[in-house]
Amino acid sequence: MSLSQKQLQLIKRILWTVSLLIVAVPFVFPFLWMVSSGFKNAAEIFGQPSLFPAVWRWQNFLDVFDHQPFAQQYFNSLYISAAVTVITLVISSLAGYALARLRFAGSALLMLFLISALMVPEEVTIIPNFFLIRWMGLMDTHMPLILLPVFGAHGVMATFLMRQYFVALPKELEEAGKMDGLSRVGIWWKIAIPMSRPALAAVAIITFLHSWNLFLEPLVFLSSLEKFTLPLALSNFTDAYGLPLWHLQLAATTLAVIPILGVYLIAQRQIIESFAMSGVKG
Amino acid sequence: MTPSEKTATMAHATRVPWLTLRRKEAFEAWLFVSPTLIGFIIFFLGPLIAVGLYSLTEWNLLSQESTFVGVENFRDALTVNPDFWLVVRNSALFALGLVPMNMALALTLALALSRPFFGVVFFRTIFFAPVITSAVAWAIVWKFLLQGEAGAVNQLLASIGIDGPNWLREPDWAMFAVIVTRVIKMVGLNMILYIAALQAIPRDYEQAAQLEGASRWQIFHMVIWPLLAPTTLIIMVITTIGSFKVFDHIYLMTGGGPENGTLVLAYYIYQQGFEFFNVGYASALAIIMFVIVLALTIVQLILRQKGSG
Amino acid sequence: MFRTKITAAALLGASFLVSPAVAQELRFTVWTGNDAHLSMLNSIGDSFKASHPDVTVTFETIPAGDYIQKLTFQLAGGTPPDLGWMFENSMPTFVKAGVLDELTPTLAATDGYDLEDFSKPAMALWSKDDAVYGVPFSTSPFMMFFNKDMFDAAGLEDPLTLADKGEWDMAKFREVSAALAAANEGKWGFEFKDGQGYDSRIMHAIMPPIRVYGGNAFAGGECGFEKPEAVAAVTQLHEMIFKDGSIVPPGEQGDFFSGSSAMTINQISRASKMPDAGFNWGIAPLPTGPAGASPVIGQAGLVVFSKSKNPELAKEFIAHMTNAENVAVMAQFFPPARKSVLDSEAFTNANALIPAAQMANVKAAISDGQVLPSHERTPQIEAAMKPRFDALWKADANVEEALKAVCAAIQSEL
Repeated sequence: MSLSQKQLQLIKRILWTVSLLIVAVPFVFPFLWMVSSGFKNAAEIFGQPSLFPAVWRWQNFLDVFDHQPFAQQYFNSLYISAAVTVITLVISSLAGYALARLRFAGSALLMLFLISALMVPEEVTIIPNFFLIRWMGLMDTHMPLILLPVFGAHGVMATFLMRQYFVALPKELEEAGKMDGLSRVGIWWKIAIPMSRPALAAVAIITFLHSWNLFLEPLVFLSSLEKFTLPLALSNFTDAYGLPLWHLQLAATTLAVIPILGVYLIAQRQIIESFAMSGVKG
Repeated sequence: MTPSEKTATMAHATRVPWLTLRRKEAFEAWLFVSPTLIGFIIFFLGPLIAVGLYSLTEWNLLSQESTFVGVENFRDALTVNPDFWLVVRNSALFALGLVPMNMALALTLALALSRPFFGVVFFRTIFFAPVITSAVAWAIVWKFLLQGEAGAVNQLLASIGIDGPNWLREPDWAMFAVIVTRVIKMVGLNMILYIAALQAIPRDYEQAAQLEGASRWQIFHMVIWPLLAPTTLIIMVITTIGSFKVFDHIYLMTGGGPENGTLVLAYYIYQQGFEFFNVGYASALAIIMFVIVLALTIVQLILRQKGSG
Repeated sequence: MFRTKITAAALLGASFLVSPAVAQELRFTVWTGNDAHLSMLNSIGDSFKASHPDVTVTFETIPAGDYIQKLTFQLAGGTPPDLGWMFENSMPTFVKAGVLDELTPTLAATDGYDLEDFSKPAMALWSKDDAVYGVPFSTSPFMMFFNKDMFDAAGLEDPLTLADKGEWDMAKFREVSAALAAANEGKWGFEFKDGQGYDSRIMHAIMPPIRVYGGNAFAGGECGFEKPEAVAAVTQLHEMIFKDGSIVPPGEQGDFFSGSSAMTINQISRASKMPDAGFNWGIAPLPTGPAGASPVIGQAGLVVFSKSKNPELAKEFIAHMTNAENVAVMAQFFPPARKSVLDSEAFTNANALIPAAQMANVKAAISDGQVLPSHERTPQIEAAMKPRFDALWKADANVEEALKAVCAAIQSEL
């Protein structure tokens, strides 16, 4: 008995899907485990592994807020990420527009100059930046967490992404704008910006996530609990004696990760495309 | 500047002595780039120069005393301190393990997911999800999963009869574990870059090869792979630099241990500067890191030139 | 000053008399976020107003794990606190760096302070050449916590009973640990302090056995880990972990407080975790060894940072906080170094969770104990030790060779 071409195709398809599912396990399991452990107590986390807790301890999620000013920290992360995103959008689209559309001496050199920033890890400049921020009197404030991503490698990356997009836009509309007597800023704001929504969305998404997930900078610049951002707060779930509070840490991690994951699941196409755009920059 | 442009400029110049259209455009351009440029100079270029100066001092962060010591920090790192070469070795191992593993997996997944089929969005979404997740959360969860016998990974392995190692307690296994978990975290990014590149390849190429009777492997090897070369190089540069930047992942999963087996350059700089307060020595390490990353990037760009030329 | 006030009042009215220019604030960093601790601290801060009506003390929590680092960032980063808690093992580093102010003159000038009430050994770590740079607020001995239910279920005599009979030594400790591990599948006889014995609390894990075996860590620039006494002590731990399987091994979680281990060594402040534990428990002295008993004490102190804008005021607050009355108040959480408080009946009844009879053991340990070793280059020593101890805590490790490697690694720092 031989299988028809169609049956063979189906079997292949099934095998293919099953193997992809197996590969997917280490990608999905950490999330499932994290959420389920967030409901367990410390003993159960290290006991026989089970996908569902014996007792659902919703209390963990409340205790998180008792243990640290977690709501405040959550808010800090949100508003810092929002601020970084807005500022990055404005200045990277300004610079990106100039680099794409305006002719000026030194633009090629400037590009080269900025590109160098993409290669330098932030660990290289973190020490002098520490002293710079101290000199500015901004230690233990949120300013360095806004300034460094905006003006560092990430801001440069956003500038290039915007430039790439502006270069590809048709010039005719801008010419028309010029005829109508729009100033340069007017052309940028009324014509170029509205036409580059996809690029702006990409920059916004990547920037927000970049800022949201920042760790080294908060670690170095923040020292008061109520100023912490989420990643720093998550790494800090210890009691008064420095003992880890596993179940609270996992509950807090769940609270920090799940909303972002939810947004991602809803807008996954847009988000994935944003990252694809950013990667083409090189 | 062509002669006609020149005359145009001159013509303007006779009417408007200083603010020609050209000059106005350049002025506006500098105005537009000025926020980026000024910030870049203050928070990037200045610090980069400063770290070079710091590297020539012995400077204690706690007592704030600093003295000029010349190249002593570099001499110490390169010839005296045994940890330094261990750290360089670890960083190299990390990159050598991570980059090929990441790229091979990314390409495999991209090949599997570049064509539409039932469930393709589902799988893309899953493989990309760790990319948007915070590295801190990822490291925290994996640190739990990789606990000795009680960890979920080893329990899972035990259920199929494998006695898993004490992942984060054996130097070699710990290095392996931080590499693999980092690959799982970041592979989605390279996967979508490869998918984008694959989708840009016209189907005709493949079909033509198919008509000539080429096997699937031959099609990949002779047609697709060469066409992917530019993407592969970009991904290689990004991933290599990225592998040298990894800090939070290691800080939280192993703290550089065990037996300094996962102590990499980014973490070592942090440790020297902010845990031992040796600002000068840490700055020298930062300069060394800068040089290494620069050299690697240049090498890869040269390869890229050769590849395309 | 008086004149200014009059002028100000004349110009702006009487309400200006409570001038903000006089109000002062002291920023005090601590590593506890515990509500009970903080409310006690705040009440001491409020009581300071009796003598300094315009002074407000703000207690600022920095998580224990990052305390020293964040503190250093604040000191180096230009936002120094005025005063704060200090770990014993960081004290010499901070004194050496010259970032702490001397307290002696202020303490001596404070009425009825009686610095002599603090015993010499208790003050040793906090002074340098007769100059006092810190005052210990917690002098907490390491005690053996045990899970009474697990001992009873295994039909074993608990450490307290054994100690009373004089049989509680290192050999007995090993024996009962093994018996408890055998009686409880998937659990252990003993857990190192806070489960951190292989990571951040290496010294806390190894020093109690090393001391009762007659060894030492480092004294006078000499590494003691490779001496036979220390080797014997660490060998016993190594065998208990890897031969007997009675101590929670590296990479496993055997939390005493959730009932996964029958014993642990810890400080009495951890008793605050016990009401949630859900089992009967007790605390006993540490087991004795070939060199007899040698209690180990962990200390924490109060210091004033030189960069403080109000160093004098900060010192006066330390004098207030560590006077006999407030030390007695703090004794409910932090065992005192003041002999007068230690000897009072109030102390043995101070801890609501620990019976007076067991508190007597605590008191004895404070009186006879020695503090943990510390050094000016603690961060470097600990970082150099850590990888070598990682190599030691493996089943096939040669303990003596591994300890030699520890000494080789830290010798240059000593």
